[in-house]
Amino acid sequence: MANRSKLSGTAALEDIEGVASQAYLASIVECSDDAIYGKTLDGTILSWNRGAERIYGYSAAEMVGRPVSVLVPPNKPDEVPAILEKVKRGERVSHFETTRVRKDGEVIDLSLNVSPIRDASGQIIGASTTARDITEQKRMREALAERAKEILDVSTPVLQVWEGVVVAPFIGTLDTQRAQQFMERLLDKIVQTNSAVALLDVTGVPAIDTRTAQHLIETITSVRLLGAQAILTGVRPAIAQTLAHLGINLADVVTRSSLAAGLRVALDILNLKIITQEDQAKGAHSL
Amino acid sequence: MTNQNISLVKVRNTLLVTMPADPDDVTVTTLQEEVLGAMEEYRPKGLVLDISAVETLDSFFARTITETSRMVTMMGGQTVIAGMRPSVAITATQLGLTMVGTFTALTVDRALDLLTHLHPRRRIR
Repeated sequence: MANRSKLSGTAALEDIEGVASQAYLASIVECSDDAIYGKTLDGTILSWNRGAERIYGYSAAEMVGRPVSVLVPPNKPDEVPAILEKVKRGERVSHFETTRVRKDGEVIDLSLNVSPIRDASGQIIGASTTARDITEQKRMREALAERAKEILDVSTPVLQVWEGVVVAPFIGTLDTQRAQQFMERLLDKIVQTNSAVALLDVTGVPAIDTRTAQHLIETITSVRLLGAQAILTGVRPAIAQTLAHLGINLADVVTRSSLAAGLRVALDILNLKIITQEDQAKGAHSL
Repeated sequence: MTNQNISLVKVRNTLLVTMPADPDDVTVTTLQEEVLGAMEEYRPKGLVLDISAVETLDSFFARTITETSRMVTMMGGQTVIAGMRPSVAITATQLGLTMVGTFTALTVDRALDLLTHLHPRRRIR
């Protein structure tokens, strides 16, 4: 086998093993899953591997001799010239994500690596492109983002529990993105339902750090600016302790240890009272 | 060019002032002057400042509102800020413009109710 430490280019292999090594390298290119094709400096295709046939749908016979611009979607006329310009200067293009059009018209997402091909004297005589099909990868990336957004949507619901009262139960921790989304959602719901009271329940929040506490205070303040009363409910001893340690003063915030207790305050604010049907029938007065 | 006119009407012994969408500094200063003038003329029991059209709230505007509110109180009235948009509320909070000591209401309707004691009074500290 060739001496690996001396492998500085195909020249070394050729000296030692002759034509056989050329065939070896050629088969590496042929067997690759990626599209590998060579072109002249004006974009005419010189070689086209099996990966390219599979990815683009064109056979080698169909592509060799044709301009590479055949593959480019009509909305990107300057891409190939720009790439070839870089190559002519001896630069490479790496991990360039773009789209190309297959023979059947389907538009695919690819990651391109384009490098200059030099002859024995070092002169740039063409460009070599390796294209990896990232359509699936991109689809998964987008699905993941979609799922993350769904989780975000689901975990910050704002519910109208009575005319004039909305409840926003916090689940889990509250990072900046969630907090922002939550605040917007809550305020929009308050306006939409014309509510006078918003109950912010933190029973489902396991840990509260400075940032979360800050977001909470901000939310409560913005609710007040809108013209509604915010009530913080579900403040457990652990959270109360953390907030005290953090030096956060909740003195000007109405708080209750449970959502039910908070609802009582809400009803009071709205001048409402819950009585049993018996009491109502008897015409009884207040509790 | 957005309409920089402040609308000022007397409704039910209350001053109803409506701010335009993007008030510049001159308009904001005019607000205070007009309010104080009207307070003297009509002696209303309250001022409702309708900012439902306002899209951006800067610190000058916020400060002027708080100041005006204090002046109205000194002249025997009560101020309620009505109709702040969610986006404005969020920005104001993040900029620390919390306008402590002012009453707020979701709508002009609510604001008027608040001033005429139809709703129980909620002291918003």
